[in-house]
Amino acid sequence: MNSIQEQMRARARELLTEGTVQMVIGWEKGTFWYLSPPTFVTAPEDCDRLVWDEFCTNNLAKYLLDYKHTEDKIAIFVKGCDARGIVRLLQDNQIDRERVYLIGIKCPGVKDGRQAAALGEEKRKEVPLAEKCRFCTHPEPVVYDELLVPDGGEALREAAAAAEGRFAEVEKVEAMNPDERYAFWTAAYDRCLRCYACRNICPACNCRECIFDRSQSGWCGKQMNRSENMFFAITRAMHVAGRCIECGECERVCPEGIPIMTLNKKIIKDLNELFGEYEAGVDLEALPPLGQYKLDDPDEFH
Amino acid sequence: MLKIAKDKLPELLKAWAINAAVFVPQEKGGTRVFQPWDGQPSLTLDGGNTLEPPKDLFFPRTETMYRYEVQGKEAGVTEIPTFDGKMVLVGVRSCDARSFLIMDDVFLTKGYVDEFYRRRRENTRVVALACTQNAPTCFCTSFGIDPGRAEGVDVQMWPVADGYLLEPITAAGRELLDQAGELLTATDTAPPPAAVPGLVVDVTGVTEKLQGMFEHPYWTAVSRKCLGCGACTYLCPTCHCFDIQGENRGNSGYKFRCWDSCMFSEYTRMAGGHNPRPSKKERLRNRFLHKLQYFPERYGKFACVGCGRCLDRCPVNVDITRVIREVKEVAL
Ligand code: SF4
Ligand code: SF4
Ligand code: SF4
Ligand code: SF4
Ligand code: SF4
Repeated sequence: MNSIQEQMRARARELLTEGTVQMVIGWEKGTFWYLSPPTFVTAPEDCDRLVWDEFCTNNLAKYLLDYKHTEDKIAIFVKGCDARGIVRLLQDNQIDRERVYLIGIKCPGVKDGRQAAALGEEKRKEVPLAEKCRFCTHPEPVVYDELLVPDGGEALREAAAAAEGRFAEVEKVEAMNPDERYAFWTAAYDRCLRCYACRNICPACNCRECIFDRSQSGWCGKQMNRSENMFFAITRAMHVAGRCIECGECERVCPEGIPIMTLNKKIIKDLNELFGEYEAGVDLEALPPLGQYKLDDPDEFH
Repeated sequence: MLKIAKDKLPELLKAWAINAAVFVPQEKGGTRVFQPWDGQPSLTLDGGNTLEPPKDLFFPRTETMYRYEVQGKEAGVTEIPTFDGKMVLVGVRSCDARSFLIMDDVFLTKGYVDEFYRRRRENTRVVALACTQNAPTCFCTSFGIDPGRAEGVDVQMWPVADGYLLEPITAAGRELLDQAGELLTATDTAPPPAAVPGLVVDVTGVTEKLQGMFEHPYWTAVSRKCLGCGACTYLCPTCHCFDIQGENRGNSGYKFRCWDSCMFSEYTRMAGGHNPRPSKKERLRNRFLHKLQYFPERYGKFACVGCGRCLDRCPVNVDITRVIREVKEVAL
């Protein structure tokens, strides 16, 4: 059987042996059965570390920034959302297309690791789709140099993703009155640790100097309190406005379970209503709505 | 041995709440954290350890240290009244109980006493709860911690079918139980067997090995996947780094201290821009060396209690038990 995982290992080995690339970024098995974290392979004999299973959740695109100033060419496996992350970085001139080799995977959707841990390995089949995959509209990579297809035919999604419900959480918050909304967001962000995991995993967060790493500037205080936490939340949401690819990684990695995607999706919804439908990281040529200027700009922002 | 029925526990907490703020693990937005107990009758003491460690109660995320005001050529400083309330923490697990002893070393020994920490710590009674079950990420026993009996606490509790067994450990603990009156009954029930965490790592020799590994290429390899976020340090019961900054408005302002993390670039950035820990390689290395080498060298104990919080919440599964194993294996 020529599974995706076997092809993955074989192709990685070939590319490293030929010297086409100096590093392959993929996933490996982690501490527990429900974890398949990122891994970085530089030697052909280590390629058997690579795995492909339902817990290959991490979006790998962001790691390319770590190698921005090296000469190496890097091969990276891309699911649908990883590929959109790549487009995001290309559009922002963060990476050089010539220096990355993209191996696409048609993604059947990944599973929720946290719920997997709670269910136990006997119930592996019952683990639900990860939240971030529920509304994914591009499980096939939008950009790649080669595409892995399993021998048994095309990978099928176990649960069809639908755009329906994509904004359900946003609508719930929109339906609240201002006091309820204030209570909702302050309760969420009062818990925020300002650990910045959400920022650090995000392919749209690629500023060389982040405002939150400059506490002396006086823009955002380092106090973990309500006003600074809210300022952090809103600032980060606005900084990824129009550029967020909805990979859901920020919300997934938040140790405090803060509904970050509800904030991101509110902005996406508003942008769609104001400037027309736009999906970030899908089309390299389509400029983000807030990254271009048009004479007929609606010139208003809610 | 004393025993309390499950449905009587709120009454005991109520008795303690007369003189102190009582903190118990509670659900908050889908996560479990120590929260002030406000008298609700249903308690969820038995739901595993809390997401956040209880360190926040002695060493708050953010704490104002003093206020100042400048008028013409005069400057005045107003002290912030130090905490003098009393606290009772109920349901502290053995791993976190050990972490208090580690924090005590940092804030109370070697010739400097941190008043902010001392006041809270001295005014707090700790009621530990034994673990009869563990999460897959728990590895406390690797550090010689007994999940069935905590160190340095005032009262030890064990869960039993219809209630809890209680044993006073210190005089203060005895006083707490004296307040219980009729609620407690004497029993000869034996404590239930402690949890047996399946995750085990042999830590012997790791400090000595690390002493010769500062420049080892292992740190490059292990740090590649790290995101350089603060999740591991902020959720760690023994991480205690802080920053001191000021908030100034016109002629007055205040100084505060807040948690900081060695995983951030700003942590070691100096005036002028030089950064002696320029990349995540140096930062991740620091985190592990601090826990496994520097702390043992200075205080004779590891600064990890095996609570597994970092392992549980790290977005990319940086696993300290794996690091310890790999460190012991790499060739020097
Ligand atoms: S903001 Fe969140 S969902 Fe959007 S690109 Fe960043 S990590 Fe992905
Ligand atoms: S990941 Fe969550 S807790 Fe951490 S900074 Fe982001 S919102 Fe706050
Ligand atoms: S080890 Fe994990 S939690 Fe810690 S900084 Fe790195 S990615 Fe974040
Ligand atoms: S390093 Fe990890 S396992 Fe050890 S005490 Fe800190 S959070 Fe717990
Ligand atoms: S690490 Fe040990 S003491 Fe801590 S919660 Fe787990 S079993 Fe209990």
